[in-house]
Amino acid sequence: EDEFEAAVLKSELPVLVDFWAEWCGPCKLVAPVVDWASEEYAGKLEVYKVDTDKSPGLVEKYKLYGLPTLVMFKNGGIVSESRREGAITKAKIKSYLDDFLQS
Amino acid sequence: EPSSKSIENMRKFSEQYARRSGTYFCADKSVTSVVIKGLAEHKDTLGAPLCPCRHYDDKPAEASQGFWNCPCVPMRERKECHCMLFLTPENDFAGKDQTISADEIKDLTASLG
Repeated sequence: EDEFEAAVLKSELPVLVDFWAEWCGPCKLVAPVVDWASEEYAGKLEVYKVDTDKSPGLVEKYKLYGLPTLVMFKNGGIVSESRREGAITKAKIKSYLDDFLQS
Repeated sequence: EPSSKSIENMRKFSEQYARRSGTYFCADKSVTSVVIKGLAEHKDTLGAPLCPCRHYDDKPAEASQGFWNCPCVPMRERKECHCMLFLTPENDFAGKDQTISADEIKDLTASLG
């Protein structure tokens, strides 16, 4: 949670954060898609994954209880309308990120 | 790791409930396997199969309250399972199976911690 502030809130680039938990099945589906995004959008976007069991304070702060949740952070704050719960395909995450980065 | 007894209990429950509710397991059964193990883990630690696809501020309180104990209220009322354990046939991710063996669960979660 301490690293979150330095890595995510102080990032100059927008940040995609994937909130997950150990025994959440759809979270396992999303993980490789998020890894792909990390490489595909390198230089335009930072990407982090947060294990919610290890970072309960962050979940409580941002009220992200359903898992997996993907959400964008920009300029030190959460972009509420970017919140997206559930499994996502590569095509859909591409369109989600392209739309966000263009706006 | 959850106990084999709880995994087996949750495996059987999942098969029975899929049949009863007319739902199907995910085409990618690793998702099914992970969720069944998550339910088993909560059964072991909390005494109830709390949904493993949510975060809770107070797990024991949630387990006592029951809304998110599998089958959760959204599933019972609207067949909404965001864990992707029980999928309606029209769901893009639904497979054709309502069964999963103990070996499948073991093999598909072997690479996890």
